[in-house]
Amino acid sequence: MYFCPIRNQFLHRPSQPTTSNAHGQLSPPLRQPGPSSVRAGSSRLPRNIVFIPQSQSNDDVLAKIETLFETIVDAVSVGGPIIIPYRRSTNEQAFNPTASVPNPRDGRHMDTVRFPGRNPQELRRFEALFRIIELSHEALLSGTLITKRNIYYQNMELFRSQSVVDEMVDNLAFTLGVGRGDLNIVATAKGLIAGQVKLMMRGGICINCAESSDSGVLLPSISAVDRIDFQSVKWLLATFRTLSASLYHTVSRAGSGILVTGKGYPDLATRKFLATVHSVRPRLPMFALVDFDPHGISILRTYQYGSQRLDHEERTKVPRLRWLGIRSSDVLSHTVITQDLSANSQDSQSSQDLSSQESIAYSVDTFQDERPVKRPRTRRTKSHAGDCTSPLSDGDREKAVSVLRNICTTARIDTAGREHKLELQRMLMLNVKAEIQAVDEFGDITNWLDERLLSHSR
Amino acid sequence: MSKQYLTLHTVDQAHPTEIFSLAPTPTTLISASGSSHLLIHSTTTSPTFPLVQTLSNAHRLGCHHVTTARGLGSPGNTFVSVGFGGETKVWRCDPEQSESDKWSLYWTLPTPANKKEKGDVWAVALSADEGYLAATTSDGRIHVWDLEAQQKVQTYETGASAGGGGGGQESNGGVVGSGSFAMAVDLSRDGKFTASGHENGGVYVFNNDAGRMVYSLSGLAKPIRAVAFSPGCKRLAAAGNAGIIAIYDMQHGEHVANLSATGARPAWITSIDWNDTGEYLLSGSLDGKVRVWDVARGVCVATHSETESALWCVRWLPKSEKALAPGMGKGEMFVAAGANRSLTFYREATGS
Repeated sequence: MYFCPIRNQFLHRPSQPTTSNAHGQLSPPLRQPGPSSVRAGSSRLPRNIVFIPQSQSNDDVLAKIETLFETIVDAVSVGGPIIIPYRRSTNEQAFNPTASVPNPRDGRHMDTVRFPGRNPQELRRFEALFRIIELSHEALLSGTLITKRNIYYQNMELFRSQSVVDEMVDNLAFTLGVGRGDLNIVATAKGLIAGQVKLMMRGGICINCAESSDSGVLLPSISAVDRIDFQSVKWLLATFRTLSASLYHTVSRAGSGILVTGKGYPDLATRKFLATVHSVRPRLPMFALVDFDPHGISILRTYQYGSQRLDHEERTKVPRLRWLGIRSSDVLSHTVITQDLSANSQDSQSSQDLSSQESIAYSVDTFQDERPVKRPRTRRTKSHAGDCTSPLSDGDREKAVSVLRNICTTARIDTAGREHKLELQRMLMLNVKAEIQAVDEFGDITNWLDERLLSHSR
Repeated sequence: MSKQYLTLHTVDQAHPTEIFSLAPTPTTLISASGSSHLLIHSTTTSPTFPLVQTLSNAHRLGCHHVTTARGLGSPGNTFVSVGFGGETKVWRCDPEQSESDKWSLYWTLPTPANKKEKGDVWAVALSADEGYLAATTSDGRIHVWDLEAQQKVQTYETGASAGGGGGGQESNGGVVGSGSFAMAVDLSRDGKFTASGHENGGVYVFNNDAGRMVYSLSGLAKPIRAVAFSPGCKRLAAAGNAGIIAIYDMQHGEHVANLSATGARPAWITSIDWNDTGEYLLSGSLDGKVRVWDVARGVCVATHSETESALWCVRWLPKSEKALAPGMGKGEMFVAAGANRSLTFYREATGS
């Protein structure tokens, strides 16, 4: 029991966040999980099921918010100005501690928000921030999760846009030194997952990611996942756009795998999921497949190194994520299967050519019982660089230079960074970009993926 | 009659990453790569082409273009480099200094303050007397700078309403629509013409005295990566993704010849260079092949490739007075560099 100054009453400690079951009611939370272990410590669980470790800082957040409220109450009671500390996670490097002289026109660069404000913008900011703190407090007390979208719709006039809410929530988390999830604020799920894995959720629900028929199931927040049954998964591939509905993870020659689709720049939940999978299964090869363009490389780097805005969040990076493609070498010397036997024989075979001229493909619809169908004998010839590329736009070039600058201003560029730098420079020199479709064969990327995944696991 | 060229020497792994551009002076070769340093190798003192100076951290994001003045009378005291961040630097050589300190930064071009005039600098070319610099931008403009006065003297526009505009001392941009990315530029050695090659396949020639466009050359529909005036200024060569070299006559702006290799889809050409006599053209392409073309006869007389990795730049070295080493002939030399990070020097087999 403790005293809450806002509600002016004594309250119980809150419970762990839960997800509601299909009937919209809250299920009682499960017992606290045991210490995390890659292989189940007890002999009860088979090897392919792992516990997901949870962060324990929930109580801290509540205490911090409560302290904040206390100072507000104190300030009100003495009639002084109310000051809420508020730092921007994106300003961290640019923050100049010597700039103590307040700019009368614009209070944005200060690290506090005051009431009464210095200008009308600050007043609005104070109200918005206060509202968010209030909502988070309620969510923490009742043990529910609230989405950023929900917050916005509480008072659209006050917040004006969703991005204002998004930024404020992250900055609040950063100021308090916690993750967004610790405030019990989440984003609507965006990422998708497909593969031969089962996610056992805290409420008792089990999500089977293999059952979906098209692009996968919505990726839940990792904080709501209790255990993952990896079955016999051999690889994980993160793409930023859905691969065509080919159930690749079931027909891959590299074995059964997991496909995670980030749908553009991956959101926090997707990144946390991947980072957590890597931490509980460090030996599972994880790959990323993006377009050959500046945004593709930027997305790749977001998976690997995170973003500055969310740098304060825990466990969001997968530095050892491997870049499957698309690279300049894929675009410039991709071999295409054609029926034309009179093709130019001067061009030498590319080094990625498979030795056999045939490839065996499984029919997608009924892969279990069908006999393997052989593809017709064909000849592989080099496709020309001009076929599958398009020129960079001005915005693309600017983005490429900006990512290059990002890479080059880190203190020490690692191997992956050097690779990204080279590919960006090549992109600018050639002035081309290419999509993932550049390496497929009439819409089917299966062979290319097989080749790449197999060569990486050797 | 084909010409014979031998690989004279390869400076292996000269740069830590891909070499994007080369520029020869009468005594040295300047090379630029994706790393931040510019390297200067000697071309006249020894057949091993030793490194004589490193300009460290010249361009933080890497450098994609270096250029020197060409022509027999050029002083060889200036070169210009452009980095991936758009920064353009002019370097001067002080003959008084020791070998390893000769070159130093003379001036960095100012970035345009006017937002409408933005468009990072891409390709550059120096006039034969090292007095003027032509610089192209990603929005299709060509700026001409006076290096002594450190001022912009001219801007050629190639956007929608161009072709007649652009004269006068100062360009008050904003009128012309954005042109196609100008990937290549050259100044004729007699100072008369400026030529530019663009992403949309356009090749434009401007008369510097009159300050306006005189030819808009057609013939190549694909992006142009390199343009070069012949030493006598009578011809202009242009090449790019089409994989063929188009030759134009400067008296009337006519397309007079095409040089192309056999094969259905030739690789993209990244670099071309005329030799000092104007008889031979050198070309380098993405498939790693460097070719020597006899322009008058319109045929390829030699093909070389070290590896299959892309070549980004090929250049003739100025003819030297004395042989590189006792017993070596004084045949013409050229150098090729690219994705394999090495500088490969070739020399004509028949010495004289």
